[in-house]
Amino acid sequence: ADHNWRFANLYSRGSAFGAVYESLAKNIETMSNGRIKVQVLYAGEGVGSTGIFGAVKTGLVTMGATFQSLNAGELPAGLVEIGLPGGTSDATELTTLFNEKGWAPILKRAYGEQGLVWLDPYIQPAVYVITKKEIKSIDDFKGLKIRAPGAYGKFLRNLGASPVSLAWGEIYTSLSTGVIDGSIGSNMIDHRDGNHVEVAKYMYKLPLAGAQVLPIIVNRNAWNKLTPDLQAIVQAATTVHAQAQLTKSKLWESEAVKEMQAKGLKWSPEPSAADKAAWTAAGSKLWDEYAAADKYSKELIDVLRKEAN
Amino acid sequence: MIMTAIRRYCLSVHAVVAFIGKSVSYLMPILAFVVAFEVFSRYILNKPTIWAYDTSLFMFGYIAALGGAYAQQQRAHINVDILYNKVSARTKSIFNLFSFALAMLFMVIVCKMSIGKFEEALEFNYRRQSEWGPHVHHYWLMMTIASGLLILQLSSDWIESIYHAITGKPFLPDDIRHQEENA
Amino acid sequence: MMSIELLTGILFVCIIVSFALGAPVGMALGGIAMGVGYITWGDALFNVIPTTLEATHFSFILLAIPLYIYMGQLLTRSGIGDAMFAASQMLIGRVRGSLAISVIVVCSMIGAMVGIIGAGIMTSGSIALRPMLERGYDKRLALGVIMAGGGLGILIPPSIPMIMFASSTQNSVGRMFIGALIPALITIVLLIAYVVISCKLNPNRAPMDKIPEVQPTVKEKFMTARDGLLSLMLIVAVLGSIIMGIATPTESGAIGVVGAIILAILFKRFKPRMVQKAGMQAALLVSVAMWIIVGASVFSNFHLLMGVQNMVAGFTQDLGLPPIMVIILFQVIMLLLGFIIDEFIIVLMCAPIFTPIAVSLGYDPIWFGILMILNIEIAVQTPPYGFALFYLKGIAPPGITMLDIYKSILPFVLLKLCVLIVVMMFPELVTWLPNYIMDS
Ligand code: NA
Ligand code: NA
Repeated sequence: ADHNWRFANLYSRGSAFGAVYESLAKNIETMSNGRIKVQVLYAGEGVGSTGIFGAVKTGLVTMGATFQSLNAGELPAGLVEIGLPGGTSDATELTTLFNEKGWAPILKRAYGEQGLVWLDPYIQPAVYVITKKEIKSIDDFKGLKIRAPGAYGKFLRNLGASPVSLAWGEIYTSLSTGVIDGSIGSNMIDHRDGNHVEVAKYMYKLPLAGAQVLPIIVNRNAWNKLTPDLQAIVQAATTVHAQAQLTKSKLWESEAVKEMQAKGLKWSPEPSAADKAAWTAAGSKLWDEYAAADKYSKELIDVLRKEAN
Repeated sequence: MIMTAIRRYCLSVHAVVAFIGKSVSYLMPILAFVVAFEVFSRYILNKPTIWAYDTSLFMFGYIAALGGAYAQQQRAHINVDILYNKVSARTKSIFNLFSFALAMLFMVIVCKMSIGKFEEALEFNYRRQSEWGPHVHHYWLMMTIASGLLILQLSSDWIESIYHAITGKPFLPDDIRHQEENA
Repeated sequence: MMSIELLTGILFVCIIVSFALGAPVGMALGGIAMGVGYITWGDALFNVIPTTLEATHFSFILLAIPLYIYMGQLLTRSGIGDAMFAASQMLIGRVRGSLAISVIVVCSMIGAMVGIIGAGIMTSGSIALRPMLERGYDKRLALGVIMAGGGLGILIPPSIPMIMFASSTQNSVGRMFIGALIPALITIVLLIAYVVISCKLNPNRAPMDKIPEVQPTVKEKFMTARDGLLSLMLIVAVLGSIIMGIATPTESGAIGVVGAIILAILFKRFKPRMVQKAGMQAALLVSVAMWIIVGASVFSNFHLLMGVQNMVAGFTQDLGLPPIMVIILFQVIMLLLGFIIDEFIIVLMCAPIFTPIAVSLGYDPIWFGILMILNIEIAVQTPPYGFALFYLKGIAPPGITMLDIYKSILPFVLLKLCVLIVVMMFPELVTWLPNYIMDS
């Protein structure tokens, strides 16, 4: 092969998501006629979960699929990109936001400043919070200790809960003993894989984020070494990948929910209109805060504001 | 003359490394206190802090990294001493020339990368990903110092070893190590 | 490009040579990775260092190591540890090896507090090694007991590797935790039986305490019992803080530190200088342990980026062996991997490769997971390379050589191998209890 790439993602070898990344790698290899060879690195295989961003930046790995919350300190705009709590869950709307309303160029600059090429984003399912006690109204969140990093933590704080920082490996034990009363998972599949339902039974109806938008990033030097046709091939492969992610992750999400329900998962009752309003309000409070923190975040939020008005 | 200067260099390195190695251990009780305070604040006051998590991790990193040079000075780093214990003191010194050079290679690269990360952290205002989001530049500065100290200590140890390998005599006074009772 | 098999061979030779020359383990591994990496990959490889440093120093799971080491140092320096053993020996009575037996019991309790091997061994070693050596116990017996007992940290819940296994193979953590209990109990019983029998056969290994010339008065006995009871309270408090949901297993180490300081005050042994001395020693041990983890992680990350996992995955495909042979082969591979990588990476790497194959052959995944945990316990303590060996060397007094440690573990590795084989032959030992508890 002319180009030997390493592609790091956050999922375990053999997991459903891992398989999607594997097929992206295969697609790039096939479509480039073997001129690009892609070695997929799964969780724990050489780069830690918080290290993918930095590793792609430096060229230790060529391509990465990361989760922006893990790199919030390095690229704050990523938190807005992934979707602030209360944002839309409509895939078409999101695509328009990125491709037509101006998010894509802003993000290309934000990532580009750090030596990264930002490729097609893909959409992953919603973020929900699971709790040990049933949440009947939004007031029940008051005083609950919930494991929720970054933006999600701030959102829950706006609702009167106390966000807790905890290593992923300690969530299960902490839920089971009651160190925490609840935890968010990056999606339903994450809740299932973490076995959270064994130790917490209730899922709140309203998602903290209706959908999450995650990018594929590539090291710029490696990208610039590709001929234009190869660049187009990688682009095309990621577009196909984004489609596959969307359809498959929806399927897996429903499977995960079904499995968890079989293990006793219960949904909280339908929230009242007042609860829904409070939920949205808690989310929009974050806009100002994030806009003030970082210039690219501000640009992104300005686009959202223009839309809202 | 030149020997005296080199010896003085080695002794200064020993002094600086020992001072920092001992100072950093004062963080140990503070670290335990911070973690215990988080538990207290969360469980008793029902108000988890936003700062204890990152603070405790930073202190952990500081203790772990900055003590490395002092551990090297005290020969506390773990080695497989099976053959090493069987050979003469002079052969040991020859082995050390290789070992310490290998360790120095690693440390020089750690130092170089840490400087790079420090500059990067300043340029992009890198922070921790938590809600509190403290700066991380000081961590990379600390890593630069920690690896720098290790390079200094290893260089001193290397000089000591080569002197001993050639002359068969100790280069530095005997009491330079294990001044502390080791119980 | 160099094949991964050749690269693995070269790395292995480099390890053996540098270890033989007595190089500091962590820094040598880092140096080897950098040297070989520069030749095969180029200077881009150096970028593995920052991400590895961050992953190691900012790991809340590893934070248990400093906290528990500090607790261990405080316990031993304040004499609380001794009180604990004095009382437990009074309880066991004049049996040869009684101290080693109480050490195993205490190690099991420490195993129930911590979720990783490093914290288990370094805490047990801090508290229990010196009392055994001072009483004239054979050093190999003493070292072996600490190693075997400290390793229980990942077999007795809570256990971080079990959580990692369950999540990467989508199995129940609860079932893993419960499934491990019978194998853990078997291990503890076998360890105690070994101590009793080997001391019977070779009385020199564990001298009896001298019968004091003056029989202890009732008051003295009462004091021993009281001090022991108070020390036991500390363990109860630490365990309780986990079980009652006050603290996570990592944080419970800090509860232990505070508890040890309170106990020292109660015992009238509290001196600021003692706290500082304990801090000094703890900081040195933490630094030693963490530089090993950093160097070894840099090494294994380099090896993984070069694709060693693909070599393992490729090797296990289409074996065409009878099912039980496949399981045995997996065990052998994991034991060999223990030569180069740590407990977490073995799970992350092998669980997703091996478990689906084992399940497709009709085996129970929880059973296979427990086999993996039992295997890792052995892998990290088999020479020449194993984290448990290095941790133990770090905690051992200066006179103990690596050869002592290598020799000390032999019988205990054999015991643990027995447990592994027994559990392999009788899967019900794992599956029965979780099925009984969770399905009824
Ligand atoms: Na444990
Ligand atoms: Na091993």
